[in-house]
Amino acid sequence: MCGVFGIYAPGLSREQIREQLYLGVAQLDHRGPDAWGCYFSDGMALGHTRLSIFDLADGHQPMITESSALVYNGEVYNHYELRRELERDGVVFHSKCDTEVIQKLYEKEGPSCLAKLNGQFAIILWDKRNQALFLARDRLGMRPLYVLERNGALYFSSEMKAFDAIFPGERAIDPARLLDHALLWNTLGRDTIYRNISTVASGTYECYQGGRLTERKRYYEIGEQTRDGVSTLSFDEAMEAFKSKLDESVQLRLRSDVPVGAYLSGGIDSTVISSLVKQHKQDLFKTFSVEFEQAQFDESRYQRLVSEAIQSQHHPVSISSETLSENFLNTIYHCERPIFRTAPIPMLQLSKKVRETDIKVVLTGEGADEILFGYDTFKELKILERWSQGEGAAEIDSAISNLYPHLNHYADPKQFGLIKMYYEGFLNSFGNNFVGLNIRMNNNKIIQNYLNKDWGLKSDPADLGSRLDATLPNNFTDWSLLQKNSFLEIKTLLQGYLLSSQGDRMALGNSVEGRYPFLDHNLIEFVFSLPDEYKLQGFTEKHLLKQAFAEQIPQDIIDRPKRPYMAPDIAAFYRGGELVEVAEELLNPAKVAEYGCFDEKMVTRFLRKFKNGVPDHVGYRDNMIFTFLMSTQACQYWIHHPRQQPLDLDKCTVEVFEYH
Amino acid sequence: MSFNAEHARSQLLEFIVNSYMVDLEEIPLDESLIDEGIIDSFGLVEIATFLEKAFKIKVSEEDMIRENFGSVNKLIAFAERKQNS
Repeated sequence: MCGVFGIYAPGLSREQIREQLYLGVAQLDHRGPDAWGCYFSDGMALGHTRLSIFDLADGHQPMITESSALVYNGEVYNHYELRRELERDGVVFHSKCDTEVIQKLYEKEGPSCLAKLNGQFAIILWDKRNQALFLARDRLGMRPLYVLERNGALYFSSEMKAFDAIFPGERAIDPARLLDHALLWNTLGRDTIYRNISTVASGTYECYQGGRLTERKRYYEIGEQTRDGVSTLSFDEAMEAFKSKLDESVQLRLRSDVPVGAYLSGGIDSTVISSLVKQHKQDLFKTFSVEFEQAQFDESRYQRLVSEAIQSQHHPVSISSETLSENFLNTIYHCERPIFRTAPIPMLQLSKKVRETDIKVVLTGEGADEILFGYDTFKELKILERWSQGEGAAEIDSAISNLYPHLNHYADPKQFGLIKMYYEGFLNSFGNNFVGLNIRMNNNKIIQNYLNKDWGLKSDPADLGSRLDATLPNNFTDWSLLQKNSFLEIKTLLQGYLLSSQGDRMALGNSVEGRYPFLDHNLIEFVFSLPDEYKLQGFTEKHLLKQAFAEQIPQDIIDRPKRPYMAPDIAAFYRGGELVEVAEELLNPAKVAEYGCFDEKMVTRFLRKFKNGVPDHVGYRDNMIFTFLMSTQACQYWIHHPRQQPLDLDKCTVEVFEYH
Repeated sequence: MSFNAEHARSQLLEFIVNSYMVDLEEIPLDESLIDEGIIDSFGLVEIATFLEKAFKIKVSEEDMIRENFGSVNKLIAFAERKQNS
């Protein structure tokens, strides 16, 4: 895995561009600590930091041919097959690296080559023949690519901290987009929470010529292959096809010139992936897990059970409250956005653990909950839909009371009426285009009360709804309620949070590459087309996955209640009734006023609620508010105190100047 | 002792202000606190517990309907009915 950086600024001098490029590249060292390189031409430059996975000796970047210069972050798993295809057509290769395959394929076919790539990537390619810059991101947006527009110049980077090094203190939060993020856990489309910084959208490419955008095109959208309607396969046929596609996806993701490990959460998704890995790798296989000191968050019993079953060499990392508070700032340094739960922090510690071994690539279970209807939002929607049709009262009652086993009050039959009343509030809105996001937005709406009153911001569902509609594919209306929710969960929580703040940034913070077998687009399209009941059968989530692997994984894992990966939130930031130092520094009234995002009175009042200690049970909302306040303040902290990583000149492997 | 609705309402509002970090003037009296984003489901449980303690009433399962819990004024009317019953 790697870091990419680029400048396209015909108005700047060669010296200015060189100076800026070195500053930018140096900040991406953690994404690629093995080497770095750069390429300069008139009015533009490319930079790259490399984590070597394929062709350790020859795969240096930028990769330069007569017609193009390329920097690329990611992996294209089917590069062997694509190489053979190109070789048949007479293309000559000089390395064994997937980078060269992408470059030669682009040179031959142009942007349409993206449809052939199976993998995770962010690409910046300088097309010398057309004097044009080509940017692209993988279908799911697993690898990041940000664009900063400043005084007519364009800057491109895997992470925004590279922009900060060039323009210290300039990155500025856009209040309206911050509110979007607060409501959805992500911003929509190309938006980021920062002014003048956009993201290349997932599954999209952009072309720039003469210093300006000339084309922007979506080359892939989730569910594009379901235009012919729902699959007619029987459940057994679907199950067999699913097993073989997932197995194929795992095998593709085991392709590497370095050893591959896996994250093991103790849930079914990572258990299935690890079991499939074990089938293909007879040698000693390493697994990695997060353990918590607090029993309510700890899943080590299940992790060890699976590790023993697949005979992996297991490496747990233990997380205490101190780990969470001490690593909070560094976590936000890497993820660059507000978070809603502290769960990303242990993931950064986990990738650190991985790098203490010989592993730098891990397979993980992300995506199964979204494509196989694992989240409770799918059940909630099903409940609301049936309820609105006035049927199945007893089944619905029991489904509601079994929801959210980690929230104690849901399981209390006496409180059942209250919960039912809570859901009843969504009966009128669940069928709009937000589907399952209505509940999340409603729960998070409270954040607007904490924002700086001078901003005058209030959530506006109609405005957000029309901006959301503009991002939806035209076959969205043909889908079932649950398919729509699957699409939106992928677009918001998965892409904007689990794969980025909690995924890419936490793994690459310690130079570890994550690979996601459930998110192979062939698998996604296949599963998306299946009938809803195959995925959520009654109120049993991920039915297809459970049935498909019932014989291969421990029964305890299949039977255990689903439980989201979580870490202590507020409780980790209080010791003996006092805020720990980092929280006190970020949330004191002077700092809140200085950074200008929140209302000091509201923050103070919120904290007063815990002045006599943090109760044993803190609601979702208070934990969410606290983590959001802390992490937004921490984003501001890093804008005000940017780290300046120096450039290690000894690691430079490519430096090419092609001026005319 | 007769139920003082005005006093009860101030007590409830004070609880809401302190528990859910809203300003007094932001609390609607006739709208659902859930729909307004002031409380989530956990908040409903907390309010039920508050009513039981503050007004010495017992909230039973059949009481838990929107007619009783659907707004501040409905909550007060419910508490009054309960205390008088």
